[in-house]
Amino acid sequence: MLNRSASPARLRERLLESEQLMETTGCYDGITELTLRSQDPLKFETLHTKLRAFCVSAREMARRISASPGVREVGEMVVAIYTPEGDAIALSNGIMVHVHTMSRFIKWMIRNGYEDNPGIREGDIFANNDAFIGTVQVPDVMDVVPIFYEGTLVGWAGAVCHELEAGGITPGGDVCLAQERFTEGLFVCAEKVGENDELRRDYVIRCERNLRMPIYWVLDEKAKVASCIDMRESVKALIDEIGLDYWMKVSKEFIEEGRRGQLARTRHLTVPGKYRGHTFYGHVTEGKPGFQPLGDPNWLYNIPVEMEVSTDGKITLDFDGTQPWGYHSMNCTPAGMDGGMFVTLTQHMNFEGLVNDGAWMATELKLPHGTWTNPDNEMVATATSWALLLPAYGVFQRLLSRGFLARGYVEEVFVGQVNSPMIEMGGKSQYGTQFGMAHFECAAAGSGALAIKDGLDTAYVGWNPESDMGNIEIWEQTMPMVYIGRSIVPNSGGAGKYRGGCSFISTWVVNKTDHLRLVTSEHSSRVFDNGGMCGGYPAPTCQKHRAVRGSNINELAEKREPLAHAPGTDPHVSDLERRFEGEHVTLEGPYITAPHKAGDIFTHSYNGGGGYGDVLERDPVKTAWDVENGFLTQEAAESVFGIILSEDDDGMPVADLEATRTRRAEMRKTRLRKAIPVEEWIASERKRVEAADFAPEVRKMYASAMKLSPRFASDFRDFWKLDPKFTLPAE
Amino acid sequence: MNQPIVIGIDAGGTMTDTILVDHDGNFKIGKSATTPLDEAEGFLTSAEDAADAWGISLETLFSGVNVVLYSGTGMLNTLLSRTGRKLGLITSKGMEDMILMGRGLQAWADYSYADRLHAITHHHPDPLVPRRRTHGVTERVDHFGDVIIPLYEHEVGAAARKLIADKVDAICIMTIFSHVNPVHEQRIAEICREEIEKAGADITVYTSHEVRPVIREQSRLNSVLIEAYATSRGRKQLKGIEDVSRKYGFKYGVQTLLSFGGLTSINHPRLHETMISGPIGGILGAAYVGKLIGNDSLICSDMGGTSFDMGVITRGQTRIENEPLMDRFKLNVPTLHLDTIGAGAGMILKVDPLTKKVSLGPESAGSDPGPICFAKGGTEPTIADCDAILGRLNPHYFLGGKVVLQVEKARKAFKEKCADLLGVSVEEAAEGMIDMLEADANNALRRVISGQGIHPSEFTLLSYGGSGPLHLAGCSRGIGFKDIITFQFAAAFSAFGCTTADYMRRHSVSTQIDIPAKADDAALEAFGARVTAVWDDLTRAAVDEMIADGHAREKITTTPFLMMRYTGQLEDVEVMAPLSAISNADDMRKVLTEFEAVYAKVNHRVSRYGEAGFSITELGLIATADKVKPTLARRPLGKSDPASAHKGVREAYIGGRWHKANLYEMDLLQPGHEVAGPAIIEHPATTLVVHPEDRVFVDEWTLLHYNHA
Repeated sequence: MLNRSASPARLRERLLESEQLMETTGCYDGITELTLRSQDPLKFETLHTKLRAFCVSAREMARRISASPGVREVGEMVVAIYTPEGDAIALSNGIMVHVHTMSRFIKWMIRNGYEDNPGIREGDIFANNDAFIGTVQVPDVMDVVPIFYEGTLVGWAGAVCHELEAGGITPGGDVCLAQERFTEGLFVCAEKVGENDELRRDYVIRCERNLRMPIYWVLDEKAKVASCIDMRESVKALIDEIGLDYWMKVSKEFIEEGRRGQLARTRHLTVPGKYRGHTFYGHVTEGKPGFQPLGDPNWLYNIPVEMEVSTDGKITLDFDGTQPWGYHSMNCTPAGMDGGMFVTLTQHMNFEGLVNDGAWMATELKLPHGTWTNPDNEMVATATSWALLLPAYGVFQRLLSRGFLARGYVEEVFVGQVNSPMIEMGGKSQYGTQFGMAHFECAAAGSGALAIKDGLDTAYVGWNPESDMGNIEIWEQTMPMVYIGRSIVPNSGGAGKYRGGCSFISTWVVNKTDHLRLVTSEHSSRVFDNGGMCGGYPAPTCQKHRAVRGSNINELAEKREPLAHAPGTDPHVSDLERRFEGEHVTLEGPYITAPHKAGDIFTHSYNGGGGYGDVLERDPVKTAWDVENGFLTQEAAESVFGIILSEDDDGMPVADLEATRTRRAEMRKTRLRKAIPVEEWIASERKRVEAADFAPEVRKMYASAMKLSPRFASDFRDFWKLDPKFTLPAE
Repeated sequence: MNQPIVIGIDAGGTMTDTILVDHDGNFKIGKSATTPLDEAEGFLTSAEDAADAWGISLETLFSGVNVVLYSGTGMLNTLLSRTGRKLGLITSKGMEDMILMGRGLQAWADYSYADRLHAITHHHPDPLVPRRRTHGVTERVDHFGDVIIPLYEHEVGAAARKLIADKVDAICIMTIFSHVNPVHEQRIAEICREEIEKAGADITVYTSHEVRPVIREQSRLNSVLIEAYATSRGRKQLKGIEDVSRKYGFKYGVQTLLSFGGLTSINHPRLHETMISGPIGGILGAAYVGKLIGNDSLICSDMGGTSFDMGVITRGQTRIENEPLMDRFKLNVPTLHLDTIGAGAGMILKVDPLTKKVSLGPESAGSDPGPICFAKGGTEPTIADCDAILGRLNPHYFLGGKVVLQVEKARKAFKEKCADLLGVSVEEAAEGMIDMLEADANNALRRVISGQGIHPSEFTLLSYGGSGPLHLAGCSRGIGFKDIITFQFAAAFSAFGCTTADYMRRHSVSTQIDIPAKADDAALEAFGARVTAVWDDLTRAAVDEMIADGHAREKITTTPFLMMRYTGQLEDVEVMAPLSAISNADDMRKVLTEFEAVYAKVNHRVSRYGEAGFSITELGLIATADKVKPTLARRPLGKSDPASAHKGVREAYIGGRWHKANLYEMDLLQPGHEVAGPAIIEHPATTLVVHPEDRVFVDEWTLLHYNHA
């Protein structure tokens, strides 16, 4: 028999009513007065802190249970407590991106009649990883449990982890090769996966039989359910204390207060108006095995972002003018776009922790239908949606930063960071068993610069501010490769008065396997996806992958001859080529090739952040330290920054201040000599535009944007002073 | 009173507390400012203060005691102030940047919730060894212990010679998986020592597999660097303390406290294991009090100026934290687990003028400039100011009257910066702030208990620290503890706890023993034999070290333990072995059952996954030997009327209104006395607030039991 909810008001009607109230009053659930807050502000505050503490400690417990280095070592998890209608009241630290995605999942179940079938009962466990229902990508698997108090549904507890293996066409979770939903892996579509606080055995069996490394997923499920039960029990104990009526009211007031707080903060930190930014993303797959001929092999994406800050503090982001979705895995759903907004706001404005869905309600996303941000086809793949999502929200970070700068909050300015490419693998492990996993050391890239100092090296990613790369000794237990290098990539931070944070590169030798499949994703090629600010340079595009198949590393080691531990800084010949014999491979963009075996060498690097301010204003002394420690090369110091270094008695670089002044004076003169008036430049470029004299990918990019967006088309024509009927041929 | 037999000294960041204890458990407390440059100075002044209180000279004191126990912060300060030794590092080639890259999490670990999210605040700790003195040598060992790339010995020689030429004080060696197979580290050390000898230099060599043979290279690296960087001056400080003790007639070696709760001589080879020892004393003291009162489930809570530290003993077991942070460096030193939240009397209170959000801390006014009421230049209102405004603190008896609290000054600033912004009265706002602080602590206690898997009514709460008793009522209300206890010596409870410790060694090795879910009897027996063999080796090593420290073999007891997980998991659960050797399959099953029981208690039963099999990742052994300990005096209960301790009446604001609260002198309370709230029980170093309707009962050990109405 179907179970019916015991709550007096049917959930679906309640949800509609709540949305209606928001519509008519402009306040969450029609709460125009924060009555409980004004009655006893300190009690109110204390309760909210308490809820946050429930979340933080539930997350810690789950991290103890998890088998996945993603969760245990680098913290890829977040938990939250929701109202019955699915609005987040309080949340833990972690991958904040998912707070509103889980909210969408709960609301989806309510809208789709889950109250009647399959029923929402005490002790039930629901799971989802379908991005069109509410998550970002297949590996982001979420679990929620309803919270009943004396038979009434009083809220939900939810948890999400990023799984290291999702059972898709390529091993790992960010299934790069997926071009439609059907190859992305194991889907759990808003499914009841457990009852009476236990995961169903048949669900666990499905996981065990459809994943390459089921222990990650299954133990993470257990971890999430344990943390949800923990939060549920805490909430029930709290209601025992404060009473049900108070709970139902205060939980909603928290959200309305969160909404007001977000508006107030925006008013406080920014200047109202329209801000525009832009970034690009290049995806190169031409000639790589496994890609089906569904779409173009190479893609170029144009991501214009307009941010409007209203006088009451509402932030609206508009993605009009971006590209249509495609047959690749980088599409995103509105849930994912929400997530990007949330994770950015929590880092820049709502970090006090008393943040909740109220902040989301004080914002609005305009996601044009049919674009990658809001596909009009639910069969599209979203397994690597971070690829486009992060550059888009990197622009948001810089737009916000312009607002901070305009308002005088110089120290809050942050160029941000975008992608940090993922490496995933599968095949036969060093234990002789089948395996599959995502290597999450990518969760520690270089951040963008600040307006007051350099970006953070090897310790930041946009999707989780609690960034970390984990220990080599932990990762090596899970994969058949050993590190022969893990080192800072010189010049990987965008140049500027303050440089972007640098990234690192790992170099491995394949060990004890004859079948290792390596797949990488989320790298932009040929165009910058990671901009700079106020004259700072963008971060470099991704490094190419280098591999040596059938290397002679063992013979060299036998003879104690030098090995290469990183590709080095010579753009013409890599150290790998210098030291190792074997079949040398250099590959741009995602790495998808035939399996590797023991003795092969492979390198994979992460991204740095963009720079801030003019390179000619950079501090020479700090630069000498950078060169000494491998963050910059001496050549870059001189050619990019105009900083001349000499050597001290120990052979270490020291800044030659006089020579630097001279060199910079020359560079300034050269700048003036090369400069032309903007009008002249526009006039000359206009000719190219008019003649559609672009690379094919660029032409296609603008053509598709103009076709999809009348506004973009008209802005484009206006800017270049083109004929009102001007169009670009698609092919 | 008799002659004291134990001196316990806890040198904190600000104050050095001394406790003297005699055979009958009588004790006296001494205090003085900590002297970081020469800790022996503060040690002696504090000891003198206590000796004065006892009425004896320093000579009489030191010549009569059996144990001098010193726990200081000197080594930690060396680390914090980056004033340690000049180090060189040799590591696996290709990994030299590890000291700059760190673990990413070191850029934000230890931050408040807000700053963890607020990414622009993140930054790496300054490395202890510069990149220019870090040398890579070609080599690699994998996690099975197999040599993948042989050691290039010629590179080691060159690196050693360069470091010798750079005049380093110490060379640290850390290679990947050296804890599984130390052959390369050992050879690197040998070559370094040869080069050092050739050069006639005085340089110490440290290897990571000797300092800390445990998985996670970053933590092992930090351990070996900190040992080399910070402990040598610490050793000198400890030696200085031993020297002055001897000068006044002390006949034995000075002892110090290990972060996992035992005593060791100051010649301990891994002195960094003593660096996080201060708060550990509280847990030891709790264990001791637990025996007196007959309860082995206890929560000890220490509230000072900035933090609220909570330690747990659940049915006699303490939890060990394997990866604590020290100055933002991740270490793998086993440490008695403490949960800490930012909550203390020094916390600065803020009301955001824009959003009207109230925030407590995380900054603390510390002791300099301190709260506004100290009138030492503090301008930000703190919890202590609220305590003064509400009459809970005696303005003329703070630190026994050494500091006169300026209540009006505090009131004026608090009104302007907090109460007016919230639109409520000064008293209401001040009590609200205190309620928030106490609710934070109360909530933290509940969370700690819920992690233990047993009901709160099994636990006794022990409250101490300078501000513990002051906020005890709110911190403990409604949790349903079996009992709530505080002490006349609350302000020196950690020092007291140190004096109750036993001599201890904790030896362990990483292992990789994977037991399949369906292992048969023969397999289980074989696994058991492997475990027993390791325990036997560890027993020998630990016992030998203790014998070398002068303990008789028959006085040493050993307890083996295992760190276990379901195969594939990344976090262990510590399981005290239910038996001392595993001789058959049933014994092994008992161990697995014990693991599952401990696991389900810490996590949740839904998270059990025996189908995955079991892994033993570390085997260890704890060896202990008894020491003379203080015994609290038991006295018959007298009459309940506490009139003999009554010292007056003061207006105090509690529960939304002013009360006439009775004042009592804490040291004058006698067994049997009962104090009814509203009342304030004062001591020069602490204050206990008894809320209306609540009662305090003094038991036969002179422990103060707080009973909520």
